[in-house]
Order: sequence, then C-alpha cells, then structure tokens
Amino acid sequence: MSLLRPRRATDPLWMLAPTLLLLAVFFFYPLGFAVYRSLFRWDLLTPPEYVGLDNYRALIESGELISAFTTTLAFSLVVVVGAMALGLGLAMLLNRRGAFAGFIRSAIFSAYVVSWVSVALLWMWVLDSQGVLSAWVSALGLTPLDWLGDPDVALYSLAAVTIWKIAGYAMVLYLAGLQDVPPVLYEAAALDGAGPIARFRHITWPLLRPTSAFVGTTSLIASFQVFDVVRVMTQGGPVRSTTVFVYAIYEQIFMNLRVGRASALVVVFFLMLLGLTALQLWAWRAKRGAS
Amino acid sequence: MSRRAWLAGSLAAGGALIGCAESIPKGRQGVDLWFSYGGKNRQLLERLVARYNESQPAIWVRPVFQGDYFECLAKLRTAVAAGAAPALSHVVGEVVPYLAEAGVLEPLSDYPGAGELDFVPSLGQAGTWARGAARPLVALPFNRSTPIAYLNGKLLKEARLEPPRSWDELTEAARALGSRSGAAPRWGFECPIDWWFWVALVGQAGGQIIEPNGELSLGGEAGAQGVLLWQRLVRDRLMRPPPGRDYNAWEVVNQDFLAGRAAMIWTSTAFLRYLEENARFPVLAAPLPKHTRRAVPTGGTFFVVLRRAPEDEKRAAWEFLRWMNQAEQSVDWATGTGYLPVTKQAVSLLETRGYYQEHPNDRVAYDQLEVAMTWPWSRSLFRVQREVIQPRLEQAVLTGTPARELLDEARALARRELGSSEVSPGTSSGASSGRREVAE
Repeated sequence: MSLLRPRRATDPLWMLAPTLLLLAVFFFYPLGFAVYRSLFRWDLLTPPEYVGLDNYRALIESGELISAFTTTLAFSLVVVVGAMALGLGLAMLLNRRGAFAGFIRSAIFSAYVVSWVSVALLWMWVLDSQGVLSAWVSALGLTPLDWLGDPDVALYSLAAVTIWKIAGYAMVLYLAGLQDVPPVLYEAAALDGAGPIARFRHITWPLLRPTSAFVGTTSLIASFQVFDVVRVMTQGGPVRSTTVFVYAIYEQIFMNLRVGRASALVVVFFLMLLGLTALQLWAWRAKRGAS
Repeated sequence: MSRRAWLAGSLAAGGALIGCAESIPKGRQGVDLWFSYGGKNRQLLERLVARYNESQPAIWVRPVFQGDYFECLAKLRTAVAAGAAPALSHVVGEVVPYLAEAGVLEPLSDYPGAGELDFVPSLGQAGTWARGAARPLVALPFNRSTPIAYLNGKLLKEARLEPPRSWDELTEAARALGSRSGAAPRWGFECPIDWWFWVALVGQAGGQIIEPNGELSLGGEAGAQGVLLWQRLVRDRLMRPPPGRDYNAWEVVNQDFLAGRAAMIWTSTAFLRYLEENARFPVLAAPLPKHTRRAVPTGGTFFVVLRRAPEDEKRAAWEFLRWMNQAEQSVDWATGTGYLPVTKQAVSLLETRGYYQEHPNDRVAYDQLEVAMTWPWSRSLFRVQREVIQPRLEQAVLTGTPARELLDEARALARRELGSSEVSPGTSSGASSGRREVAE
C-alpha cells in the first residue's frame, strides 16, 4: 500500500494537471462563458448588451422552455421504455447458442453502429406520407397516418426510429445480464412448479434490475441529447412538435442568431443533465452493490 | 507495403483531406467565396469561377461550399466574430439590412465602376436599398428569383385547362388536376408553407408586410386572406403541405412534382432548368395568380463583400463581382439555372439572341417583375420572417388555428420583441406592388 501513497503532498496535483487542464479549457471555461453570455443580448456581430435575466424570462414567458422540456421528456420516456422493453424481449429470444441466433444478434446490433444521418434518411423514405409504411397500411385497408407531417404523430415517429436504432445496445447489455443469472435458479424454480411467467417475475426481472437501471439511465441521457434525427427528419417541426432541447439551442443560435437565449437554454439544459448524471451514478452504485 | 510507407501514405492522404480546398497559385491574389448553391447550380458557379480564374493572371477566386443559405449565414456570422470571414459571400435579401447595420458589409459605392452597374431596378432593390435611398451600395444582386407556378403540361392538356390566373381558378385547377383515388394518388397543388409564398399571397390580396410609414402591419386583413387560402386548400385536400421545414420542404415539393405526385407547384424560378431537365413530361411555367391584384416578392441572394477582410482581398473580390456582372456571365448564369438576368444589358442580350422566343418558360419570371414588390430596408425583417411568421404559418395550416388570431399574436410579438421603430420610415417602399419598374 505504501507504494501507492504519494511521496509529496503535491504529487497528485501535477498528475491530475493534464486532465484538469483539458477539463478547464474544454468544459469549465465554455460552461462559464455560456452562463455569462446568457445574461446578454448578443448576435455575434454587434456589441453584447447586458440584459440580466431577461433571456431566461423570455424563454419562460414565450413558453419555449417548458415546450422544449416537455417535448424532450415525452420523447425520452417513449424511447427509454421502448428501448428497454424491446431490448429485453430480443435478449430473451436470442439468449441461446448457435450461428443463426448469433447472426440475428449481430444484425440487430448493427443498427446501433450505423450513423444517425443514414438511419434518419432511410426512415424518411419509409415514413413519408406516400412512402413504404403508408402503402402497407393502405394495403391492409387502414388509413395511414401522416407519420412525419402530423404534429401529433411526428415526435413518436422519431421516438420509434430512435428505439429501432438503440434497441440493439439494450439487447447486448441485457444478454450479458441474462448470462449472469445462475441456471440452477431456473432449475430449482421449475422443480417447484414455477411456469415461464413466474420464473421471469421472480428470478429474471429481479436479477436484471441493476442492468435495467443502467440501460434506463444511459438511454435516458442519450435520448435527452437527441439532435441528428430531428435535424434530418423534421427540423423541429411540424409546428415545433419535435423541437427538443438540443434542437431548440441550435435553432436559437444558428437560425435566430440569438446567442444569449441559446446560452440560457444551455445553462438550463446543463442543470438538467447534471440531475440525470446524479441518477446515473446512483444506478451504477446500485449495480455495483448488487454484483 | 512496409508499415512506415503505409503511415507516410496515410498521413499524406489525411493532410490532403484536411486541406482539401485548392491552394492559391503563386503570384495571384486569393479571394475565398463562400457559397450556398447545391447540385446543378453549384457546378455552374464553379465553372464560371474557373473561367474567371483562367481569364486573367492576377486574381484567384476559390469557391467554398457552406451549406444552404441559413447554414452559410450562420458560418459567416461566426467567422466574422472570430475575425476569419472570407472576403466574399452571398446572403438572402432579408438579412442584408441587418448585416449592413451591424457594420459587417463593405460599402461598395466608391469602388471603380460601381456607378456603371445597370441592374434591373427591382432586382437591385432600387429605391429601398440602392439608388434613390440615401445609403451606400452594400449588396449586388446575383442569383435573384421570383416565385412562379410550374404545371405538369401533360395533365393540364388532359384536363383541358389553362394555368390559373386567380385564386378561384387556382382552387378549381387543383380540384381538377388532383386525384385521391387509384394506385398513385396525386395532389392538385403543392407549395412550401413558407414565408416567401405567404408574402406573395399577401401582396396578391392587396397588402404589404411593412407599411410605407414603417409600421409592421403583416398585411393586415390581406395577411389573413393568404393564410385562409392555404387553410381552405389543405382542408379540402386540394393541396399537400410538404413535410419538413425550410429548404427541406422545398425539396419535397420539387420531388413530388417530378414524380407526378403533384400536378401544380409553386416554387422558385431557380429550379426552372432543373425541373425541365428532370421531368418526364412537359413542364409549363406560369405567373402566380392574382386575388385583388398581381404581386410577387423577389428572392434569392445578393453578393456581399465583408468589411473586415484585408483591403487587397476586397479589391480583388470587387474585380470578380464586376466580371460576374458582365452580360455574358449574367446570361450564362441565368440560362443555366433559371435565375433572373440581373443587369439590363444581359436582358437585352437575351432578347437580341431570341432566347425568350425559344424558351418561353424563362420569360415568365422576368415578366413578373412588373409586379415585383421590393423589400423594405428593415433590420428586423429576417427576425420577423424566422421567429414571428414562419412558425405561425405552419401552425395555422397544419392545426387549423384561426388565421386572424395567429396574425394578431404575431403582430403583438413583433412589436414587443422587435419594435417597429427598427424599420426606417420613408425608405421602405415595402412591397410597392404594382410599380412598373421594368419600364424605367
């Protein structure tokens, strides 16, 4: 143990210095700058004008903040629940040996590796109101929805695309979790007369809880940061129905040329992510505790 | 291949990728031109630039593609703030007053030969931005356009219809040309739910966005009439509101037209050549219909020289702009794309060559300039466009929210957020529709 103890009190500091420097330059400084700029009206061209908390007030009064928050939250809830359910379902189906199961597992996971832009373009083609999905729905004698053009539907279409893409990731984590479950537990339960549902409820699900917590928090954070699918597929529309938080920031700074308001959104978003990260840490600890 | 050779090769390839912009030949004054045209128009611009670079030994213009108009504007603004802006770029008309008043644009009136540029008045914003308005020339028209109607000639012939000349005829034509049954349903009419086309509708209903006294009226009742027309057409399933926003929606409109999914569309004259060359049916261009009067806005972009660029780069940029505005280049650009010829000299050259007799579609946008509305000199115009109007148009058309209510809200927001005082009174001929400027 004595080898690990620093010889001088200052040793840890210089060892940490490179990381601290990087963090300071690329994280703390930009964040501090965003906090500072959120108190100004600024378009990058004319001199900034100090406006106090006006940017925050305007975001609240115009309803933009609450709208970005609820849109993001609705999107995230659907994505997290959907990705977890689909990931778990697929993992249970594919938790077996054999080349075929292996191929299917790889195929499903491959969606996670493909770039967001390609996925978005592919799904635009599928989800166009005169596209493949609508043609299939019509062939069944039903009236297709306007998947990307209806303000009540578009957000859930994007959520479905996101679930499609990240379910493979959830599946891999759940597979690892499932393989950690000792088979003797199932054998004992089966001997005691437990059916498949009872075995899932009393063995699989409780033992997968740490994995679920991990999958849930990571996909929650990822879904809060969604941007690419929105940028490519709907540009925040129709009628702002898919203007999630990151897109709102992008729109304020790059479309509306409002640096102050975008910075205010960044600050609020940072606080939200901080809360989510605390949640993630808690989940990690729960997982570590359980294992 | 040895590992060392492989590493050296990779480094060279990486270096080439990073520095993929061509280098400026020795002894030439380099000028970067940030531009926003894609596809066919981009190829043509690059050919013109190459021709310029070969035509003289002193200047080398280097075109750099920067995404669509709004993406390019965002990059330009960031580059200006960082002191890394190019000498030359082009921006949409609505944003010129804003940039000029922020002191970003180089005044060009005193550059050699500036007084000799004979722009078609409405394309050069005569009276509001240039000549007649007491402010220096800061933007030269280049790819200028008006919205026009494109019709599927085959379907029109089958239906024995003429291009609609009024809003009522537009509704009837959309009804006659659309078909909602069968294996391949077709929309009668399609138009991006976009500020530009709404401004056209406002003008046609007799209104203007900004009154001559500088008041931001958003067209008053005419503003509502424009939205109501769209709402009726969409409600009756005569018109498809294209999905996506900004230029994504425009692209959908073009593709639907080319694929035969829409019989009649409104879009920019900029797509004339593209649509003609890619359609498998005869494309017929027609002026926009009238309601109480005929009116169209102008669109497209203006070349601007950035004030903070080094002096010799600005002078070189100016030389290039003069060359681009010579009749030959102006004509090549217009005939290759569908954009309007911006100088009177180019127009007479086209007329002498009998070009318009051979290409009647090209004549449509030019003739429409008779009823073109010039943009007022308003610093807030692009904010009104992006933040106030655009989201509300979409809302009105897609959710059926009452048009008058939304426009009242828009006016209140515009006044609170932007202040109508930002518009210079007197100089805003704002939509001086009906002026016969071509006759000047």
